[in-house]
Amino acid sequence: MKAFGFVASCCLVCIAFLSSCVEEQDFDQYDDLAIEPVWEASILYVEAPEGLINLTSGTNFYSQDFNFDAFSSDVFADRVIDGSITYIVENTTSKELEVSIQFLDDANNVLDTETFSLQPAPTALLQREIAYGGTGRSIDIIRNTSSIRVNAVNLGDNTSTSDLPDPLITLQSSGKFRVRLK
Amino acid sequence: MRKNKLFLVALLGMGWCALGQNKQLLYDFSEIPQSLMVNPGVETDFNWYGGIPTLSGISFQAGSSGISVNDIFADDGIDINTKVRERAIFGMNPRDELSGTYQLELLNIGFRGKNEDNFYSFGIYNEGDAIGYWFQDYAILAFEGNADRLNQAFDLGHLKTRGEMMNVFHFGVNKKVDNELTIGARAKIYSSIFDFNSTGNRGSFVTTEGQNNIFASTIDADMRMRTSGIEALREAQDEENLAGTILKRGFFGGNLGLGVDLGFTYHLNEQTVFTGSLLDLGFIYHTNDVKTYALKGNATVEGVEIILPDALVDPDADFWQDLVDEIEEFVPFEDNDKSYISFRPTKLNASVRYNFGEQLASRVNCDCGTAVRGGGFRSKYANSVGGQLYAINRPRGPQTALSAFYLRRFGNVMALKATYTVDKFSLTNIGLGLNIQAGPVNMYVLADNLLAYQNIAASRYTSFQFGLNIISWRKN
Repeated sequence: MKAFGFVASCCLVCIAFLSSCVEEQDFDQYDDLAIEPVWEASILYVEAPEGLINLTSGTNFYSQDFNFDAFSSDVFADRVIDGSITYIVENTTSKELEVSIQFLDDANNVLDTETFSLQPAPTALLQREIAYGGTGRSIDIIRNTSSIRVNAVNLGDNTSTSDLPDPLITLQSSGKFRVRLK
Repeated sequence: MRKNKLFLVALLGMGWCALGQNKQLLYDFSEIPQSLMVNPGVETDFNWYGGIPTLSGISFQAGSSGISVNDIFADDGIDINTKVRERAIFGMNPRDELSGTYQLELLNIGFRGKNEDNFYSFGIYNEGDAIGYWFQDYAILAFEGNADRLNQAFDLGHLKTRGEMMNVFHFGVNKKVDNELTIGARAKIYSSIFDFNSTGNRGSFVTTEGQNNIFASTIDADMRMRTSGIEALREAQDEENLAGTILKRGFFGGNLGLGVDLGFTYHLNEQTVFTGSLLDLGFIYHTNDVKTYALKGNATVEGVEIILPDALVDPDADFWQDLVDEIEEFVPFEDNDKSYISFRPTKLNASVRYNFGEQLASRVNCDCGTAVRGGGFRSKYANSVGGQLYAINRPRGPQTALSAFYLRRFGNVMALKATYTVDKFSLTNIGLGLNIQAGPVNMYVLADNLLAYQNIAASRYTSFQFGLNIISWRKN
């Protein structure tokens, strides 16, 4: 009789456990899951010393197209949503300079141009953030960019030298983009 | 999309728990022949037993130490992105784990030797086991990215996982040394079907202020993933011959290893018993269909750098490709097919049991009462109470669990065992095991973490074991 009581108790406990409920689940929520990290990294750095600028005849002392596949690679282009590119330009030379950055597509068509006019030193650091996607410029500019053109023009003379140590012009840039992984 | 959803649900549903192989209900449950598999030195009184092929031992265990299906998919009106961010990405830590294991006995037979003190058992079982620790920094990178996280080093060592599937061929000897001590050992041959492990990863990824440019991205990696059998299974799947390949690799066509189980039972006095076992002290030597992937080196990148006048030397230079090549040179991703050894996750069990109450009539080849110890075997008591310790060697070090148990025998027909287990994952793990002996037919059902059945979706650990055997206590 005692044994029967024990077994019955155990069975009741088991039934109580096993018949218990499962809280309602909504697996369709998975569709609302958005995995959209924001990644940032440097893009391009250009540095030209004043000595080189003085040695170059003509005003356009540097012009070059660079292959840049990072934006147009499928893994990025298919997933990028929006973002921005930050430029920091500094001129410590004695000349007025103009630097332009152009984004080009596969056919060398210019998709976007950003121009920086810099007074002779001493000048403040010029920082500019360009937004793409959303209310900014079209994100397709980024998606289709396969090379970058850098143009640097000397609007001053070819003889003077800045009093600052190691005078040069530098252009720094970084990208910060939101991409959709899911 | 649907596959992704199912995968995520399965991943969360499987759960993760270091105790994926803890069999606290089966351990020292000597009415069940399969208790020999968790302690080859358990006291047996069978003359012989035969497991019903593929039905003699089925066990499945899975657990989660950090999150449950309910935490993410409960219909609670909270945005799933918030739940994932708060409960998974930042709610878990790298010690949280997801693990699962199963065993399916294909054959299990035991018989008593001419010397009645010796009991032999042998068989084959299929086993799968996997564990993955929460790769938190990878998840942060994937969900949040590295933006606005200057100087935060993402630890590449958070990737720590291993898994395997194999057939195990075993032969065990259980010897009653005297009335106090029983010892046992089981030799094992492992036939690995597949294996993967990536447990010794080191390194970091960090974004800092650059020297020239705005940011510097630095990767310092020493990572490795070793696999065997994966390519063969992938090819078999393409050729729609997956079952045949699994069968072939499981029966000595894959990679082989050796192991041993050891165990004992010792009577401290008439009613107090001390037991212990060490399981899967062994290794597998992987030489067949091996592929090891490695990423080792360090590099710091500040984007494409054009420093004049040096950059004018080669007007056709492809600075972007140079950058890519430089990274690949400093942090090469390589693969090779060198052999490797993997060690099995060794398990330790120990228990102290106190027997009390009515002594039961022995089943051993006579209709004698409690005063007679059939064949020299001890008669059992109606009640047993005690404690058990379990430990398993895992990639992040040994993990332990402590159980208290009560075992009640109802004649020789039925026995019930209840356990309460404490570990770092749960303080409310109550398990129940039932063993029924109907003539020669033996059936057992063991289930763990029963309180979680109040809401199964919220459960972080579940286990289930079931088996059917034919047992004889007679000599013919």
